[in-house]
Amino acid sequence: MRPTSPRRFAELQRLAGLIQIAALRSLKVRYRGSAVGILWSFSNPLLMTLMYTVVFGSAFLQYFDHSIVRYLVYVFVGLSVVTFFLNATSEALLTIVTNGALLNKIALPPAVFPLASVAANLFQQLCTTFPVVFIISIVVTHDPVRVLLVPVVLAGFALLTTGFALALAALYVFFRDLSYIWGVGSFMLWMTSPLFYPAQVAPERVRVWFHVNPVGVELGALREVALGTGSLDWGLLGTALLTGIAACCAGGLVFARTRRGFMDLL
Amino acid sequence: MRPAISLNGVTLVRRTQEELHYDLKRSVMNALRFRARKIKRATVITGLDVTIEHGEKVGVIGPNGSGKSTLLKLIAGVLQPTRGSVAVEGSLSPLIEIGVGFEPELTLVDNILFYGVLLGHDEAVVRAHVDAILDFAELTEIREQPTKTLSSGMSARLGFAIATEFRPDILLLDEVLAVGDERFRRKCAARIERFWDAHSTIVLVSHDLTNVARTCDRIIWLDGGRVRFDGRADVAVQRYLDTVPTSLSIRSGQELIALAAAAPNPVIVRGASRIDDDITIFLVRNGYRWRIAADGEYRRAAVTWEDVLVVSDDVIEQVPEGDAVIA
Repeated sequence: MRPTSPRRFAELQRLAGLIQIAALRSLKVRYRGSAVGILWSFSNPLLMTLMYTVVFGSAFLQYFDHSIVRYLVYVFVGLSVVTFFLNATSEALLTIVTNGALLNKIALPPAVFPLASVAANLFQQLCTTFPVVFIISIVVTHDPVRVLLVPVVLAGFALLTTGFALALAALYVFFRDLSYIWGVGSFMLWMTSPLFYPAQVAPERVRVWFHVNPVGVELGALREVALGTGSLDWGLLGTALLTGIAACCAGGLVFARTRRGFMDLL
Repeated sequence: MRPAISLNGVTLVRRTQEELHYDLKRSVMNALRFRARKIKRATVITGLDVTIEHGEKVGVIGPNGSGKSTLLKLIAGVLQPTRGSVAVEGSLSPLIEIGVGFEPELTLVDNILFYGVLLGHDEAVVRAHVDAILDFAELTEIREQPTKTLSSGMSARLGFAIATEFRPDILLLDEVLAVGDERFRRKCAARIERFWDAHSTIVLVSHDLTNVARTCDRIIWLDGGRVRFDGRADVAVQRYLDTVPTSLSIRSGQELIALAAAAPNPVIVRGASRIDDDITIFLVRNGYRWRIAADGEYRRAAVTWEDVLVVSDDVIEQVPEGDAVIA
């Protein structure tokens, strides 16, 4: 071990403690101590699933063996992770700027704030939709390997989200119109992911994008482990996990590269 | 034993405030037109070599924009030097600033815990100090109320109580020494006094020359980001005063306060105030701001010093003893 290791460990420990307290703060603000509050976050994907089912359910029924339940589950699994991704990233985007006054007073690693946003949203999903996805996987696939892979795929999704959160929060310091641009960007990701429609309905040329859009890649992998049947598509799972790791590293790199410039603009 | 604070050849280059940030849209357009805009930078601190030993009380003086607050931020680790190095031995206090970072929706207790952990203490340690902090701020009864219900004075009291609760080895003070009403100010002053008696290292940035000279053994006088003088407090103040010209054009209130604090007697300064399009006379004494209304009555000024626009050279004149009513 290098002599600097204990110090680095202490730094990491402090970072973890800071993320924990900052995430707790944002959760407390959101729910203000009410236990019903956390269930509230359940209602969003649930209502949207119902809405999509009512509007598009019958139109896409032929792709789901004419089973409305299958379509419902298909949409819910997708929405549970995509809403997490969008909530966490759009929240994290603002955090470094909004905590600028604090960063000007106390020496803090600025990454705390975007990471805390991701942690708070992840915790919220872990209490609500993610267990449901897990149960869906058990009921639908009857495949222990698939069920055990659900947390792995969700972890990949969390890594992807972390990467985006770090990069967006860092870039927002320099480009204050990024919040609007990300609003459009996230809508594009939403529409170009096979979220409420089956991938087959999209034209061939567009479908290539499903493999480029990182959210689409992760989504494909999650459906594979939660809803898939037959032999497991390991290639898809590997790609999804690598995408998550790559996105996380890229986001971290953007953050580290731009970090020195933060304080001049806060 | 290594010194408490040492800065070696510290230079800090920052972006100028002119262009705080830009749009992505505009940047992309400029890039497309091959018109990359150059980022304007300025050297804020140049080649600073300062060593402060344990237990030393050091004042930092100098005109506005000379880099005093920046020096504190460098010591606190908020800013990283562009060149050179900063080394600090021992625990640091925050730069006291009132209520920054309080989450309005959370209770007082939650805010104390959050702030304490940010300051680098274990949650358990902070928890043990919560009662003492609330007690000092005199807010124990409303400990479970959301912080947004506090008045600005109350939140200032809470900020002060948190910032001074954890006895740091090194205390960094930026001007604000006391908050709240007169009684609470005395309480704050007494607490600060304790730091002076203890063997804490103190770095105090202030425009109140009399106070700095009285409380600090050593003064660093900054000018344009460089050390102009570093040595005995009385010598530093004398030299600093010698450079203050008698004919001035004052643009900011802080300069005015510095000037008034440095003068041996009360000073009347006449300026144009934006508040009521009248010419208003300001009297500055003991660091308090007084406004003399048209009817000749003295009132504590409810104006910010940025309102003072023009001060001409006939402005500064001595006030005969007993002419001013000052608490």
